[in-house]
Amino acid sequence: MFWRLLRQMIVQGRGRLGVALVALVSGATVSAALLNLEFDAERKITRELRTLGPNVLVRTSAAPGAADDTGAVFGGEALDALLATESENGWRHKAASTEARGEGGEVSALAPSLYVIVRAGSDTSLVLSGTWLDAYPRLAPWWRVEGAWVTDRNDAAVCLVGHQAAARMVLRPGSRLELRYANRSAALRVAGIVSTGGAEDDQVFVNLPVAQELSGLPGKVSLVQMSVGGSPQQVERFSADLAGHLPGLEVRPLRQIALAEGQLLARVHALLFWSVGLILTLTSLCVLSTTAALAIERRADVGLMKALGGEMNRIVRLFLAEAGLLGAAGGIVGALLGALLSAWIGRRVFGTAATLRPEVIPLIIAVMVAVALLGALPLRLLGHVRPAAVLRESG
Amino acid sequence: MFFRILGESFLRNPARKWLEGAALALGMAITTAAMLTALDVSDRMAREFRRLGANLVVTSKTDTLPLVIAGTDFRPVEEGAWLRQSDLGKLRTIFWRLNIVGFSPFLEAPGEIARGQNRFVTRVIGTWVDHAVAVPDGTTFRTGVLWTHPWWKIEGAWFPDSSPAAGATAENSAGAPASAPQLDAVFGASLASRAGIHQGDIIILRAAGREFRLRASGILTTGGPEDQAIVAPLAFVQDLTGHPGEYRRLLVSALTTPEDQFGRRDPSTLSPTEYDRWFCTPYISAIAFQIKEALPGADVRVIRQVADTEGRVLGKLSALFWLVSLTALLAAALVIGSASATTVLERRREIGLMKALGAGRRSILSLFVAEQVLLALAGGLLGYVAGEGLGFLVGKIVFGIPATGRLVLFPVMMALALAVTLAGSLWPLGHVARLQAAPVLRGE
Repeated sequence: MFWRLLRQMIVQGRGRLGVALVALVSGATVSAALLNLEFDAERKITRELRTLGPNVLVRTSAAPGAADDTGAVFGGEALDALLATESENGWRHKAASTEARGEGGEVSALAPSLYVIVRAGSDTSLVLSGTWLDAYPRLAPWWRVEGAWVTDRNDAAVCLVGHQAAARMVLRPGSRLELRYANRSAALRVAGIVSTGGAEDDQVFVNLPVAQELSGLPGKVSLVQMSVGGSPQQVERFSADLAGHLPGLEVRPLRQIALAEGQLLARVHALLFWSVGLILTLTSLCVLSTTAALAIERRADVGLMKALGGEMNRIVRLFLAEAGLLGAAGGIVGALLGALLSAWIGRRVFGTAATLRPEVIPLIIAVMVAVALLGALPLRLLGHVRPAAVLRESG
Repeated sequence: MFFRILGESFLRNPARKWLEGAALALGMAITTAAMLTALDVSDRMAREFRRLGANLVVTSKTDTLPLVIAGTDFRPVEEGAWLRQSDLGKLRTIFWRLNIVGFSPFLEAPGEIARGQNRFVTRVIGTWVDHAVAVPDGTTFRTGVLWTHPWWKIEGAWFPDSSPAAGATAENSAGAPASAPQLDAVFGASLASRAGIHQGDIIILRAAGREFRLRASGILTTGGPEDQAIVAPLAFVQDLTGHPGEYRRLLVSALTTPEDQFGRRDPSTLSPTEYDRWFCTPYISAIAFQIKEALPGADVRVIRQVADTEGRVLGKLSALFWLVSLTALLAAALVIGSASATTVLERRREIGLMKALGAGRRSILSLFVAEQVLLALAGGLLGYVAGEGLGFLVGKIVFGIPATGRLVLFPVMMALALAVTLAGSLWPLGHVARLQAAPVLRGE
């Protein structure tokens, strides 16, 4: 009897219910999409900020200096272990036994550098940086290169020139450049001109072996730069952990980047949290007013049922079941549409679809059922309504 | 008659009207608040990004190539070219002067400090902390590292910037008498821990063949090469190096708009109209160009590491918020539309009765449309006001500065409320107006 009545009600009132369903579905869609995004956008923006560049430096504990000062370069086993972290099972694997495990603390790029002051062209002094040139598009994506990047870290015949240095020596991509140090020299072809606005503008970049050979410091580097993911605390922990494995070396998180990034992320988080929270609350209220309107229109039906001898409890249960079904349907359809919507927004803004959070789906369904039931609540107040009055009024 | 029926309709069945009005107001509030946030997010976040520090660097055009390794310049002290400090006020006279958040000139000199038996080679960095710069228009502008390097953390106190540095300096090497004037300076944290310097200690600095007495007014942590150095008033280092009134490097922090395709074009290839548009947009390249015009002999470069990241993140955030507010708008429109459709559908009986009493299709439609328009205007107004309030609140909570109210949104929101309500009710109205009186009244 109950189910037959319920089915009858839904079939009879499908126009009306359909309209209410539109409201529920659109509310659920926007809520689901925003919940998916709230979590994802933050992670994606952290990744964007990562392009701020290397945030951990490893070097000797001695004061900084040029390669002439042998105290400032290091090499050997410690360096090899560190450089192995670039490969998949290097540092990550090692850190797995320690606290640095978990979210963040993964090295997304690293490169060793050896700095030497060399002479070039007609006796210009400049800083030569020997490094892994192929790592830079990842380590320093803000570099603007006119010409081409160097994609092979063993190519000993090419170099990148900072644009101030290039202007001084009148170099263009394709020019030839000779670098001299003590009685050694290296002849190179300029692959590209780099502009960064930083100290790199004044330097020349070659692959590490070239600088090591030129300076007579095989196997040595001045420092290693790393780009490590995660929150400032995770980076700090990673550094401390790394320092434990590298005795005699100083591992320094770059605070400028970490601090500013933390504050920025806190803002982005607050912004997303408050706007999503606000839109969710208002959307639920908005849907609530629609379901409440629907329930009020049902007064006449309740009155009629009561007049026909229906028990108030049963009548109310019937209408609540109707509202619950409506809410569940709206929630399910909305959660699915919301997933599609957030995937689309993610692709539009960040280039990759937002990762879906499975817990959003039951949450949205629960919220929509709750909103629909809350909307039906005014029916309870009809318990003491006199059928005759209601019926007459709506006639 | 028409108005009496309209009035009656509002008075007789208030609950229904209230609910539809509430849906309208809520929907419009969401949309207004989301739009306000989206409009503001780029500006507000741009200000947050200034925490990353300067995004422009100014050096002399004729300077030699710096030999900088890990933040230390290995050039001989006397080599290179300098810029005049007296020109700096002009930075606040360029077209985008209000976008210049701050700037700090830098001048460095090598030095050595003695602690007991040990000597520590270090560098003295001269700069401004909180300095009043005279602007040619007669005002003053406060700037220094507090604005350009907000992440520098000081334990203790900064040196007073107006200290009469020149008077407080030179003493000949024979050992400074205890009564010699001393100068406040700030010591980098790594240097301080290596040399065992604490706040309040008096340190003898040997630089440029002279000796100076410095009082450590604070210990500075920056995470950069300054941790190994001494930071002192600019005037002191100018005196020390024999370059009074000059600096070597200027860092400028400016509020900019993310560079788009247009902003990346080479200004020399633009047509006059395009050039005006470029000049009058706070692109970082346009600001760099204007600074170059204001400071004779200067070379202005964009610090790509900061500017690029900022541009990218700002662009994405603002796109994200536009899409979010569009989504919110769409959802609000659907909910409101369905709310007005529900109210109209529920009133079939009423319509049947009116028809039975001889009302024409026209008068029924105009009555309902008038009702919906009134509701839309009231709900839209309420929603707009509430939305402004919410946008204000979100701005206040997130950024500490309330969002700017935008009257432009008012007509937009009202038009939207009207459009959505009418669109929502037109379909059922058309349906309802065709109904036959008798079956409806019979309850079919």
